[in-house]
Amino acid sequence: MYHLLKGFHEYITRKEEFSVIIIGLDGAGKTTLLEKIKTLYNDTPGLSPDKIGPTVGQNTGKITLPSTILQFWDLGGQRGIRNIWPKYYGDCHAVVYVLDAEDRERLGEGLEVFDSVLSNQQILEVPLLLLANKQDSPMALSVEEIRNGYEDWHQSKLESARRDRFNETETSLAARKQRLASLDVMGVSALEGTGVRAAVDWLFIRVQNSRRRDNQRGDS
Amino acid sequence: MGLTFSSIFSRLLNWRKEQDTRILMLGLDSAGKTTILYRLQIGEVVSTIPTIGFNVETVEYKNIKFQVWDLGGQSSIRPLLHRPYWRCYFPNTSAIIYVIDSSDHTRLPTSRTELLTMLSEEELKGVPLLVFCNKQDVQGALKPEEISEQLGLAGGETSRPWSVRGSCAVSGQGLEDGLDWLVNAIQEK
Repeated sequence: MYHLLKGFHEYITRKEEFSVIIIGLDGAGKTTLLEKIKTLYNDTPGLSPDKIGPTVGQNTGKITLPSTILQFWDLGGQRGIRNIWPKYYGDCHAVVYVLDAEDRERLGEGLEVFDSVLSNQQILEVPLLLLANKQDSPMALSVEEIRNGYEDWHQSKLESARRDRFNETETSLAARKQRLASLDVMGVSALEGTGVRAAVDWLFIRVQNSRRRDNQRGDS
Repeated sequence: MGLTFSSIFSRLLNWRKEQDTRILMLGLDSAGKTTILYRLQIGEVVSTIPTIGFNVETVEYKNIKFQVWDLGGQSSIRPLLHRPYWRCYFPNTSAIIYVIDSSDHTRLPTSRTELLTMLSEEELKGVPLLVFCNKQDVQGALKPEEISEQLGLAGGETSRPWSVRGSCAVSGQGLEDGLDWLVNAIQEK
């Protein structure tokens, strides 16, 4: 009887764990974002922003939401170490790409790297969220500007690709188009915490939905 | 207001918990482990001799007490790693600091093997790892990014937070930043 009740209790209170990776260029604010998430959702406050330096390696964080645990991996974004990201693609449930909306000079580079993430075959089915960080700065580009900027950038890339007679296959192009259409861009300030909860809510909902889709696929 | 109090309270609780925090500091011989230890503890550069056996010191850093075990790295002791010696210290370890001599290119593969062997120990599963790429002041020292790449921790070590940082034990550069990160990673657990 005890075990029955215990099992029932475990069944009711069990929490599923989902992995989320946070990537983006160096200095975009990935670690600051993760520490802010930890501060907002956990009892122990995260590292204060002035103590955060460039990440070489991974920072982890775990937050508990109703019925779900989100496990975050914040990966270093410097040029030489970006090649470690794909090693995490295999078992992540969502990808957060952080863009420094204030840094107009490196916007092109940020979008280019984002594009390579977006079109990566391994995570084509995984929910992807683009965060325009540093919205606390008056110089920051808005969410619309980022979105338009990316679409413009993408368009010009397509054209130059056509000129180079380098064409992608039809299917991957279609998949990308679909992904682009459903792409969500949100504005956050990791420093002040504005928009962070909304981003976590987005992740919470999307990982659950994508899991359901997985189950259905498994059943059929 | 209530939130403020509760966060202060939980911080205090955490400090108490941290009192018996054990941190292992490991690495090959002459990587600079003992220098780092005493730099942290008394803020001075002491002249060291190769450690045989170990140095244990309590380091107080921002109200958190660490027990740092600096285990000798000489090769006469190190081959025993796979067998009992270092291993005795693995249970109840809160964090590992692994020190690498960034200027010693030839022994980096050896250092890597030692590190990976250690990390595969069951008792150190999920324990935060801080890698100090020491001797950054020496000319020709490899950058933390390059060492990180050579260590190849990415992907394989997903269960623990890890960070590869440059340091210079003689000037103290990078040590505090590294410890700040480590404290945060320990509290996270």
